[in-house]
Amino acid sequence: MWNYEKRLQFPVNIKEPNAKLAQVIISQYGGPDGEMGASMRYLSQRYSMPYREVAGVLTDIGTEELAHLEMVATIVHQLTRDLSMEEIEKSGFGQYYVDHTIGVWPQAAGGIPFNACEFQVKGDVITDLHEDMAAEQKARSTYDNILRLIKDPDVCEPIKFLRAREIVHYQRFGEALRMTQDRLNSKNFYAFNPGFDQTPNC
Amino acid sequence: MQEYRYEGKEDRFPVAMAYVPWQKFDKMYENLDKAYHEGTIFPELNKPFTGRRCVS
Amino acid sequence: MNGKEKLLYDIGVVSFVVVDLGLYLDTHPTDCKAMEYYNHYNHIRKQLMKEFSEKYYPLTMDMAECSKEWKWGMAPMPWEGECG
Repeated sequence: MWNYEKRLQFPVNIKEPNAKLAQVIISQYGGPDGEMGASMRYLSQRYSMPYREVAGVLTDIGTEELAHLEMVATIVHQLTRDLSMEEIEKSGFGQYYVDHTIGVWPQAAGGIPFNACEFQVKGDVITDLHEDMAAEQKARSTYDNILRLIKDPDVCEPIKFLRAREIVHYQRFGEALRMTQDRLNSKNFYAFNPGFDQTPNC
Repeated sequence: MQEYRYEGKEDRFPVAMAYVPWQKFDKMYENLDKAYHEGTIFPELNKPFTGRRCVS
Repeated sequence: MNGKEKLLYDIGVVSFVVVDLGLYLDTHPTDCKAMEYYNHYNHIRKQLMKEFSEKYYPLTMDMAECSKEWKWGMAPMPWEGECG
């Protein structure tokens, strides 16, 4: 169950349209390391988590990713809503425009549609948490790459905010992995899957 | 070349596993507006990007 | 920023503090100091959310108590930007 708050997690107020930047930033909406993949990854991984605290971390970070998804969509929307036909033609936005007008559709910067293959639910707590930590780093790198392309402070501030959250989430997933290790035998963390196998000795 | 020191560290963590150090809550930013703009209330987790590509 | 924008911004700040503390507490569930901070800011957040909803428009559906008109549906969407 979720409740919606009619506000952004961090303000987005962009005055200057920029179709080229929108085409790059849309990757964090529906691209390989974007917020859609992030939220779906964490929220989907919860069901096979053997430890309630770890499922709790996945729930809360997955929920925050939904707020980030809305922020990224808002950035793309505000960068494209006031484009002239001339700008659309000139900026290379025409290929997107012909299919979606100025709607926000989940795709990567290169036009590849969002796909569940961009994340995994392995059903193994150690494996899934390693993926989650890697996912935060991949999103952080993407935001680094985006930051090098931005000159407009209206776009820079929310992107910087989103990037900083990746590092905090990385820390929390790391701690969730530590909590997992504490529940397992350090002589062999891989003896069994605590979310699938009954006991190590049966 | 960087010299890596392994002495005394062998037994702290079992091998073939990844470990992120536990964060210990010390203090949060007093200026909450700053915390909001930095993207975290924890100074120790604030690691901003300063990269610049110096290739022309 | 006008009064409405300032209040919405303050809600953003304090809600963010609550979210960041909440994630910390998820992995440090016995940290009393963090819990005190959490309770403090969560209380402020609830007050500000209520104040905003009464003065301007409901931020959540459960704050959309109505008599003459259903304000929730007409409240501005967050992607509209300032003065939306």
